Amino acid sequence: MKNPDAIVIGAGVVGACCALSLTNAGLKVLIIDRGPVASGTTGAGEGNILVSDKGPGAELTLAIRSRDLWFDINTDIGGGFELEAKGGVVVSRSAKGISDLKKLSVLQKENGVEVIELDGAGLRKIEPYLSESVEYGVLYPGDAQCQPMLAAAQIIRAVKKRGGSFIQGENVIAINSNAGSLIGITTDKNNYSCPIVINATGTWAGEIAKLAGSHLPIMPRRGFILVTAPAPKIVHHKVYDADYVANVASSDADLQSSAVVEGTASGTILIGASRERVGFKADLDISILRQLARQAISLFPVLSSIGLLRAYRGFRPYAPDHLPVIGEDANISGLWHAAGHEGAGIGLSPATGELITAQITNQSTFIDPTPFSPKRFQGSEYVAV
Amino acid sequence: MHNVVIVGGGPAGLSAALTAAVAGAPVLLLDSNPRLGGQYWRTPADNFGDQNENHFDLATGLKLINSVKAQSNIQVLSGAQIWSASHKDGVSTLRVIYQGSEKIINTGNLILATGAYDRSLPFPGWDIPGVMTPGGVQSLIKGHGVVAGKRVVVAGSGPFLLPVAAGLVKSGADVVELLEANKSWRWASSILVLLENLSKIKEGFYYIEAISKGKVRARFGQAVVGAYAGENGELESVDIAKIDRNFKIKKVRNIKCDVAAIGWGFTADTSLAGALGCKQVVAKDESVVVLIDSKQQTSITGVFAAGEITGIGGSELSMIEGEIAGKSAAKFVGCAVDISRSDLIIRAKKQRFAAALIKAYPIKSGWRSWLDEQTVLCRCEEVDLADLKDSIVELGATDSRTAKLLTRCGMGLCQGRICGRFVVDLVADQLNISPTDIDRIAAVSRPIITPIPLGVLAAGE
Repeated sequence: MKNPDAIVIGAGVVGACCALSLTNAGLKVLIIDRGPVASGTTGAGEGNILVSDKGPGAELTLAIRSRDLWFDINTDIGGGFELEAKGGVVVSRSAKGISDLKKLSVLQKENGVEVIELDGAGLRKIEPYLSESVEYGVLYPGDAQCQPMLAAAQIIRAVKKRGGSFIQGENVIAINSNAGSLIGITTDKNNYSCPIVINATGTWAGEIAKLAGSHLPIMPRRGFILVTAPAPKIVHHKVYDADYVANVASSDADLQSSAVVEGTASGTILIGASRERVGFKADLDISILRQLARQAISLFPVLSSIGLLRAYRGFRPYAPDHLPVIGEDANISGLWHAAGHEGAGIGLSPATGELITAQITNQSTFIDPTPFSPKRFQGSEYVAV
Repeated sequence: MHNVVIVGGGPAGLSAALTAAVAGAPVLLLDSNPRLGGQYWRTPADNFGDQNENHFDLATGLKLINSVKAQSNIQVLSGAQIWSASHKDGVSTLRVIYQGSEKIINTGNLILATGAYDRSLPFPGWDIPGVMTPGGVQSLIKGHGVVAGKRVVVAGSGPFLLPVAAGLVKSGADVVELLEANKSWRWASSILVLLENLSKIKEGFYYIEAISKGKVRARFGQAVVGAYAGENGELESVDIAKIDRNFKIKKVRNIKCDVAAIGWGFTADTSLAGALGCKQVVAKDESVVVLIDSKQQTSITGVFAAGEITGIGGSELSMIEGEIAGKSAAKFVGCAVDISRSDLIIRAKKQRFAAALIKAYPIKSGWRSWLDEQTVLCRCEEVDLADLKDSIVELGATDSRTAKLLTRCGMGLCQGRICGRFVVDLVADQLNISPTDIDRIAAVSRPIITPIPLGVLAAGE
């Protein structure tokens, strides 16, 4: 593509949503990735679109907006990525956990999230196989799920149909600027001139920022997911332990895990979620698989006889303050970052694309973008490891 | 403490176990089957004397099995499934499901003899009940005394079709067609190899004689290219095509049958070797095999491999490889034993025969023209050719991994054991490129080697 209006680096779900939003705003967009579509964190995710796991604040506002935008995109591009408004169920079994969950759900409700408190009988009515030991939970009808790789691929297909293009197998090696303004990028194969570039490279976004002389402390936070053999419908919602919310918000480098269990359109059951900061260590850690299996069985004892078929791991793009990075670069105008969504990237992508596009096209934004600005890291002591 | 751990109870594993034990090394033999013998010497639960006449050299197998059982320094664990394995600092860790719970086995001296399974190719209707692999048909006869059907078509390519047809005839089935896709002249260039492997000729005549009793005549240059179900949803007839030397269809006829046993040779089961980190390579027949040196040692010191996983070559090559691996492993743990010159000579002779087989029974790319858009590729996840094409043309997949993740092709219960190999070819075909070795090796990578119940996983430490 000659002279694109904007280049998106990264063909994951964040890049795809930015590209679609820009395309729908009338820009000619080129997507570039060093690998195939969704070959990074997107391809290793569960496809969470959650409003249940966030306390009040900028990220919750982003999540609520994004959740609705997913259904708009589904209509806009004609679906094809298994979007399902399945609802989430958060449960707790300790007195403190229950009291925290109650407090959180009250605050969420005040901020526009639909919440329904359930006792043991109510829970087992909607999740018949849930352990008898669970006596309190909150149903979040707003939680949804999609197949993230298909989502990225289908959105990029739509972008191409609307005049955009996608080049894979090129690695960006330079961000080119003149007097603080972006003029283009250089890959290992080509030069591209372009006034606007969006860095949507997820866990690797710090490397692109570095090419621009900026500091973006995005770190990998590893997670494993277990995939079972196809099973009859056992789990109807996304069901997870309230500890998950605490783990998501934690900055600890050590291993944390909490049960997250859900069925998929294909009949397999996905079991998460572990979090640990061990760099890009790729090996299969059997002890984590065992822990995830134990936690899942404690929620759904019937899972004990279901076979584990696969396990995979991904690297969530983690920012030290747990907020995604969405905004213009501190040093180079025209360079925009859309990364660092940690485990919420699938859910937050459409709103990220919308927020980026609104700022680029000088439209009003639905939320004050300041908390997400990459400028917050300039001069900070945050160091990527 | 076991000095040598061997995985697999077929010709290679049994030979390795006996050789290592006789040399003085205590052996632990793990086998996933309920009874020793592997696919090749599969026997029913009791009274396998009856089976002797269905099998060219079951006597050899029974002798070997009995010797292994009689050897006091061999412990056998039958029905042991390895679900995961890893190697670190000279120690291989095998995580085994045995009698409903998990057992961890650590060893510095390991012989892998995990064998092979049938290679399948897709065609319209191959997912209809009644279309089987020759190995499946044979294991029903050998293992359970069950004949899969009354009117049977045996087809595909390779010498394994002969014993399967012979077994069916002896069991009373009507083998209505025996079809070899390749032409018989392909053997012409390997006459010398045949002459030095007279036992193989003898074996061939044994089966031909058995087949001729059923008035079955082998036809060459023909293949099953379509299958149709009757009202009950089961196989009713197949399309048989005369094919050219590249497997392109020339002329088609239809024939009634209730079972079609179709196989295209074998695929080595290298999942365990891959999980341990042994280097794998792509062989001449484009199958992924474990790389070994002259001592049968893999790229990992102290991990040896023998039999079909080092390259498809049949039971005789498997046995000599097993013996050499057994000696190597025994020597590695300090036993006074050496590989002899005659071992190497025999292995070389059998290897030449294996190479001649690959030359005589090539699988040509024309099979890809038998498919239509609705031909199912992945039977577990019900992915058809149109879905695969869509992932490439519309969704932009440019490699088999991405195509697989976008379609779920090969992600079902069999973990891609059936479709993984040919999907790599079909993806490359769509993209007009040749598959890389990395693609082929990735297609057989299975970190979870066999599904493990979550309860068993959870109970482990």
